[in-house]
Amino acid sequence: MTVERRIYAYRCRSCGTAHYPFRMRCRGCGNLEFFEFDAEPLPTAGTLLTFTHVHNLPAEYEVERLGLGVVELEGGMRVTGQIDIDRPELGMPVSGSVEVVRHEPYEDYWGLVFREG
Amino acid sequence: MSVDLEKTLRPIDADLPPYPAKWVTLASGDEMVIRQVGRDDVSTLLAHVEPLIHVERDYYDIVAARVYAELLAYHVHRVQDEYVLVAQIDGELAAVVNGRQVRPGLGMSLHTLALRRGLRIGAHAFAAKMEYHMDILGHDEVLVVAESPIGFRRWMIEYQLEERFDTPHELGGVPSYALTRELFERARSKLVVGRRPVPAELLAKAQEAILPPTDPPTPPADLLAATRARYDTTGTALMLQRRIQEQGVHDA
Amino acid sequence: MRSVYVAGIGITTFGRLEYPLAEIAAYPAMMAMKDAGLTDVEQVYVANMGGGRINHQTGLASAVVDTLSLTPAGAEVIENGPASGASALKQGVLAVGSGMYDVVLVTGAERMREVNNLDATDFIATLTHPLSEYVYGVTLPAHAAMFTRLYMAKYGVTERHLAMVAVKNQNQAMANEFAHLQQNITIEGILDSPEAMTNNPYVAEPLRFFDCCPVSDGGACLMLVSEDAMAGVDRPWVRLAGVGQATDSHAVAERADPTELTAVRLAAERSFAMAGCGPADVDVAELHDAFTILEIAESEEAGFFGKGEGHLALEQGETALGGSLPINVSGGLKGRGHPVGATGIAQAHEIVTQLRHEAGARQVDDAAIGFTCNFGGFGNNVVCLTFVRER
Repeated sequence: MTVERRIYAYRCRSCGTAHYPFRMRCRGCGNLEFFEFDAEPLPTAGTLLTFTHVHNLPAEYEVERLGLGVVELEGGMRVTGQIDIDRPELGMPVSGSVEVVRHEPYEDYWGLVFREG
Repeated sequence: MSVDLEKTLRPIDADLPPYPAKWVTLASGDEMVIRQVGRDDVSTLLAHVEPLIHVERDYYDIVAARVYAELLAYHVHRVQDEYVLVAQIDGELAAVVNGRQVRPGLGMSLHTLALRRGLRIGAHAFAAKMEYHMDILGHDEVLVVAESPIGFRRWMIEYQLEERFDTPHELGGVPSYALTRELFERARSKLVVGRRPVPAELLAKAQEAILPPTDPPTPPADLLAATRARYDTTGTALMLQRRIQEQGVHDA
Repeated sequence: MRSVYVAGIGITTFGRLEYPLAEIAAYPAMMAMKDAGLTDVEQVYVANMGGGRINHQTGLASAVVDTLSLTPAGAEVIENGPASGASALKQGVLAVGSGMYDVVLVTGAERMREVNNLDATDFIATLTHPLSEYVYGVTLPAHAAMFTRLYMAKYGVTERHLAMVAVKNQNQAMANEFAHLQQNITIEGILDSPEAMTNNPYVAEPLRFFDCCPVSDGGACLMLVSEDAMAGVDRPWVRLAGVGQATDSHAVAERADPTELTAVRLAAERSFAMAGCGPADVDVAELHDAFTILEIAESEEAGFFGKGEGHLALEQGETALGGSLPINVSGGLKGRGHPVGATGIAQAHEIVTQLRHEAGARQVDDAAIGFTCNFGGFGNNVVCLTFVRER
């Protein structure tokens, strides 16, 4: 069975504010109940707000450069992800998929990789 | 020594075309000349390289020791087809790089030693070396290994060198990587920088004498300071060493 | 709250220090005690970020207090990322201001060059959000680069402005014998010459090598005392008059306006409010220029220049020595170096030196009010300090 990998946002059951990344207490209403969040998959389409190509990387990355960007997803949430775009531009429409973003000897880490379109 | 035996011991060098000198402007605004030197200059270089053998940091000790040996071997004809390039600022030695031709079409990078820090002189010197192999000697590939994490990041990762793990590198240890012509062309803008011809006055200054660097990397107070400090958090052993070195006595 | 004075200061040279971490913290503390002529220390705060991770030493404060033979004084490590130094000074102010102690040493130390710079980059990157940033390979230069790109688009800041900050600060470090970088650079060499791309390659586009501070070892210390204790000290009276701190979202992407450093603005406002002065009163400032863009942005958020006008002030030379508000005359993090735990205290060390009028070739004329901004994370946790010369 293949598990569909997704990145989740956390929506507060009392006020509806969505959070990514997870925080224990809602930023919208500040309620003090534990686990009062519904996990919902983050949208994957959005707009590229800013980006960089990093050349001095942590040792795990054996690539010449790594694209990173901040994307405003449909619905307004903003996330950081990797970008696989040769010539990125501010405001460019992008869509994300969940892929391995960091590979360590005994562990793969999954996250959003955005491409043009 | 019998002349005949020396003939056996001495490799026959190919007639390699010389590296045409060039100059670059550094971040400091200083103008640096990169040029090839011959066997006559080796004794001067050895004097400037030797102190770095005692610098136990950033792999200066191992790289300097090996460069020293390679220069010596070049001087007494014990390596075939070796070349040595130097970088000079106001006559002062800023970097030594060397390599050799393994066979026509194939080059081997040996070492890159920067004697001045903070101006990316090593990057310029390495680039000049690759330019020599590819554009002047017409090699299709240059075999490269790194001895430091920084070297690995700079050469293997930055230029995405190809693995040649079936080919041993003469420096031993890890397997070879290769800069291919395709990779070279992709990195050309970074590897082939500098201007020619070198203005006559600048070149004359460089050729006049290879001066020692005024601010070379220096050894720590204690030759094993870095190691010792790791394991002696109170610093007692370190301080004792310092006093021994300063006072030259062991019962300090 | 009681007034808090700086009785003594001390600093190591920055660069590579092959001494145990505890010695790097203790050396400037010795200098500060000598400077003040006081040794009856009741409490030691040690600012340090990476001792446990990089130097394999935890419980650093216990080691330092013992190295200084100050036992049984109280001792704690303060870790607040790259803002650890100013945070430790804040604790010192609280300790003396509250009346609990009269004489407190606040020393900061970091020894980052024990590891190679790939490891150092990763160490600093552990500041980022573990799940939404770190796993992607986000580094501090990456955050700064994405911020810079927006700043360029919105305000017309160019690579030339960034290079101007780099040249100003790195060359200013030549006048500071404690600074890590002792090497002049030129705009020609890092931006305009045909070889500039090799001299000054991208670290994280559009930020280049010379836009980033070096990785340094170093330590710095301030002795903070009450008014009663200061009465017995034969040094100029410099008061640590204002402390302001503010935090912001851990994940940088979440911020409503990605070109604002809200925590800097709030921390500066709070620091000025406590000191009873404003940005216009400041004579000399040390801002956290871990990346050149940060000096420009912080100079705006702290209220010295209008939003989006910091680079114009830079163009006019207002932030250079001799300008209307000299910034980072010590060389800043860019030139002096950035041993993360020590930086906030090194900034304060410079301001106190300036307010004592002991800065020699880099002295800002008649400096009476000084300001520091110590920036933790990527603006997650910022501490600003205001110093006033009284007599």
